[in-house]
Amino acid sequence: MATNNKISLTEEDLVRALKDRETIAIKALYDMYSAALLGVIFRIVQHSEIAEDLLQDTFVKIWNSADSYDSSKGRLFTWMINIARNISIDKLRSRDFRNANKNQDIENNVDFIDAERKVTFNSDTMGLKDMVTALKPEFNSVLDMVYFKGYTHVEAAEELNLPLGTVKTRIRMAIMELRKHFN
Amino acid sequence: MEESKAYIETGILELYVLGQLDAHEQREVEGMAAKYPEIKAEISAIEIAVEQYAVQHAIQPTKGLDQQIFEKIIVHSNSVSAEEEIFSAADHEAKIIPLQRDQSASTIKTLRYALVACIGLLVVSVVALYAAHDKLNVANQQILALNTDKEKFASTVSFMKEENKDLQEIATISSDPTWTSVKLAGTKISPQANMMVYWHRKGQHVIVDNTKMSLPQNDAAHQYQLWAIVDGKPVDLGVFDAKSVSGKLLIAMKEVGNAQAFAVTLEKRGGSISPTMEKMVVMGGVSI
Repeated sequence: MATNNKISLTEEDLVRALKDRETIAIKALYDMYSAALLGVIFRIVQHSEIAEDLLQDTFVKIWNSADSYDSSKGRLFTWMINIARNISIDKLRSRDFRNANKNQDIENNVDFIDAERKVTFNSDTMGLKDMVTALKPEFNSVLDMVYFKGYTHVEAAEELNLPLGTVKTRIRMAIMELRKHFN
Repeated sequence: MEESKAYIETGILELYVLGQLDAHEQREVEGMAAKYPEIKAEISAIEIAVEQYAVQHAIQPTKGLDQQIFEKIIVHSNSVSAEEEIFSAADHEAKIIPLQRDQSASTIKTLRYALVACIGLLVVSVVALYAAHDKLNVANQQILALNTDKEKFASTVSFMKEENKDLQEIATISSDPTWTSVKLAGTKISPQANMMVYWHRKGQHVIVDNTKMSLPQNDAAHQYQLWAIVDGKPVDLGVFDAKSVSGKLLIAMKEVGNAQAFAVTLEKRGGSISPTMEKMVVMGGVSI
């Protein structure tokens, strides 16, 4: 990490620094997680400029809400991802956003953007993307709807016309599958 | 152990990590995680998997974005923390929520004005309606009054026409030689009484002139009866009333072709077959 001047700290140090309002914490968080957070935000709002604006909002929120983070309740990165997702979903559902995006074909943008932009790959997990996309599509689609498209699991059940229990099972199966690859 | 395993299998932990639970359910999961280390471990495993899934979909931000973010944050961290909270909250809200709130607030404001305007219009309308209704009532009463007046005038006109016709006839009769005017003078019982009868010998018409009648007014039980004296015998020519009030000017009586004199007696209402001589009020002979 030192070779490209990127900062990386252990989660424990990060949390302490963040709570102590040390600006190095936010720099480290940015270096470590900004790309992953932008990926999540972008997939929800489907608009690169808005996504970057929301990424800024996300970091400001992370900085300002640091006190409310409780490590006993979950990992820091998951907490950050959920902040990014909530900000994105709020934006997605806001009136000005809906009006501005009426004419856009949302579904078709992802592949285009992925091809155009340089998608970063972690060297440790290189090649896993293919494996992940090889997950059973019905499991993956439910997880993606909830994780990347801003649906609640209840909305996803309605959209797919599936019982809520089935949706829960599919989310669990998809995550189990992910765990086989990552854990 | 069994409990935690069953709990893990419900899939609630995945929803917890994905932020899909409400506050109550979240507290429940957190309680379980505090109680069972294996649940806590399971949550972490799910979190790592989902985090890695996000990392797989990472997109590198534009260069320089980090500086913008740091500037924002440093500006914030230079101010007092309480202020900072307000500032950031305002900043965040300014991005999303106020737009909607402002719009709905202005819509409500507009609707409120519209409501007030509607009520105002309604009040004005009711007042106008009431005034119109009032005027209509007055107009209706005027129409009724005018109608009554009109009827009065019409009856007056028709009465006057009738009267005029009779007056003209009187004028014609008095200038027409075929008509004979017979003046009846008062008798002993009513020396003041007198009246005029017109007689058309050829046509056998007999007419009593109401305008030239001066008889004491008869009561409801009695009427005057006109008699023609034909060859010394009285012939009934019909009954009439001596009215002071307006009535017909000319009263046509029964016909008689030959008469030497006319006389009027006061009889019971409807007339008698033969005259009551002592009740004769006027009489007069026909001058040839």
